[in-house]
Amino acid sequence: MTIFSTDHKVIGKQYIGLSLFAVLIGMALSLVMRYHLVHPDAKVRLFQMLWPDGAPGGQMTPELYLSLMTMHGTIMVFFVLTTAPQSGFGNYFLPLQIGAHDMAFPVLNMLSFWTTALSFLVLMAAFVVEGGAPLSGWTAYPPLSALGKIAGPGQGLGQDLWVLSIALFCVASLMAAINFIATIIELRAPGVGYFDMPLTAWAWFVTALISLFAFAVLLAGGILLLLDRVAGTSFFIPGGLVVSDQIQARSGGSPILFQHLFWFFGHPEVYIAILPGMGVISTVLSVFSGKKVFGYRAMAYALLAIGGLGFLVWGHHMFISGMSPYSSVAFSVLTLAIGVPSAIKTFNWIATLWGGRIRFTAAMLYALGFVSLFITGGVTGLVLGQPGLDLYFHDTYFVVAHFHLIMGVAAIFAIFAALHYWFPLLYGRFLNETLGKIHFYGTFIGVYAVFVPLHFAGIAGNPRRYPDFKEYEFLKSLMPLHVGVTHAAYSLAAIQLLFFFNYFWSQRKGKLADKNPWGAATREWTHD
Amino acid sequence: MTNVARTGQTLLIVASSMLFAAFTSAMVVRRATGTDWIAPSVPVWLWAAALLALSASWLVMRGLYRPAALCGFLLVASQIAYAASLRMGDVAQSFAAVLVTAHAAHALFGACALWWKGERASLFWHFAGALWLYVLWLIGVWA
Repeated sequence: MTIFSTDHKVIGKQYIGLSLFAVLIGMALSLVMRYHLVHPDAKVRLFQMLWPDGAPGGQMTPELYLSLMTMHGTIMVFFVLTTAPQSGFGNYFLPLQIGAHDMAFPVLNMLSFWTTALSFLVLMAAFVVEGGAPLSGWTAYPPLSALGKIAGPGQGLGQDLWVLSIALFCVASLMAAINFIATIIELRAPGVGYFDMPLTAWAWFVTALISLFAFAVLLAGGILLLLDRVAGTSFFIPGGLVVSDQIQARSGGSPILFQHLFWFFGHPEVYIAILPGMGVISTVLSVFSGKKVFGYRAMAYALLAIGGLGFLVWGHHMFISGMSPYSSVAFSVLTLAIGVPSAIKTFNWIATLWGGRIRFTAAMLYALGFVSLFITGGVTGLVLGQPGLDLYFHDTYFVVAHFHLIMGVAAIFAIFAALHYWFPLLYGRFLNETLGKIHFYGTFIGVYAVFVPLHFAGIAGNPRRYPDFKEYEFLKSLMPLHVGVTHAAYSLAAIQLLFFFNYFWSQRKGKLADKNPWGAATREWTHD
Repeated sequence: MTNVARTGQTLLIVASSMLFAAFTSAMVVRRATGTDWIAPSVPVWLWAAALLALSASWLVMRGLYRPAALCGFLLVASQIAYAASLRMGDVAQSFAAVLVTAHAAHALFGACALWWKGERASLFWHFAGALWLYVLWLIGVWA
């Protein structure tokens, strides 16, 4: 096996490996942030060793906290949630499921992975350059992200590297999207019609379509932002801006314009993360219920509807940007409309379970956990889709809790379900079921213990992105809640070590698997 | 050209179209919201460069791929010369520079593909030619 392989199975495993490495870094950063929130004055020698400028004497500066938050979000959204479910599992299993010999463009596939890997390295380099990592968040709103070094530590070369990394990621994702769509359109085996494909293949197809339209727009926004930073343009920098007592020479730009470009990509990105998971969950629920998926065609059309509507709702991320109330109502109605295909999927999952002979394997538990998280996170999405409520909740922990449940943890549960389900095909062995179930229960309880209280923190008006709550009288009463959340986060992280042990141990020592151990009906299990 | 290659090129064209649609919408919004918009001047020789794009497409239809690629390289050279003459501090000129440079990257890719891959790159080249007419209209007429 060569690392520059053009084989879709190798590339799929490479994507999965990259995501597992990225998730470790992203998780570690979140733990450091949680630690800082409950011990804001602590002096930690490790912090000083890792970030000498950001933690002088071991005490974390607010700027370092914001840079960790930026990197956590960027790593998790792009290199975990976007990469593993689509490019990882999709590359490995799509050709097998539709009877193709490989992806349509194997060399492009290899280039796509290595461009993603390069993008990740460029992002990581932001940690070690002068000024450190950027602090403008994963959304990189200008003018903070556009001004350069004068805007703070990390806003110099660190922010340049961030923009470059995201531009590279866009190019890699566009290459991958072209490959997925061309493979499904042109390389389906004779007799495999669109409505003969498993829902996993449908989900990868719709996700690739979304990627094709969305990443090009983010690339455009990234190019314009980079030019504002390095070429003296003023696309996003408004006039009369005073930073560090200096009036900025540039004028006329619109920071809101970047928000439009970003969220035209950013909302579909939510579906890029979650739709492949929906496909996996549909398959796993069906296999372990011993029934066909209920309402197969409705499920496929619901995927298309979610993908299409996802491009019409970006404005709900910008209710507080001063948009017209008429626009807000339009975006709100369209946002709530996504509840219809989402509900079709949820009810069909439940109908698939109804009357089935359910086997509670680890994969099945994760699939059920996904449905639970999808409903919990979805319900709070309806709250945030109301402009009047969003004005209050927007910059609070309510939003943090909402998007972590629906976009982050639900998608990660789908990754766990997929790994348990497909591990026999990936490595010829089973993941240990007992360890898998212990890991499931610990993770399921852990994520609710972390994110449900954060909803209440948000309702109480707790702002997000604040590095030190003790500075504010009205937040002091919420500190016990944050202490509890932080301990839950430690426990949640600890139980993930069990998964990593299981993942690597089972590759060599796991129980050997038969050819089709779950009794599945899709092609990848019968492929030689 | 195989169906797979044609589909791949079509999808690439969709992605490129989205990129230029995003630049266009940014330009439309920026012109409407600012008071500092001064239309960039487009020299006659850049209009003439449209003839290079059209000539290249005409040559492609006659199977003369390398001469078509040479027209493409000349088009890229004229685009780079124009972009280099623009002031990035001026908002309209900076949009023109972005659009022309982005197109030059597409045209360079298309011309190289014509040189080495011949007929297989024809669909993309026709798209690049049409896209140049659009960019010229956008910066030379609309702006």
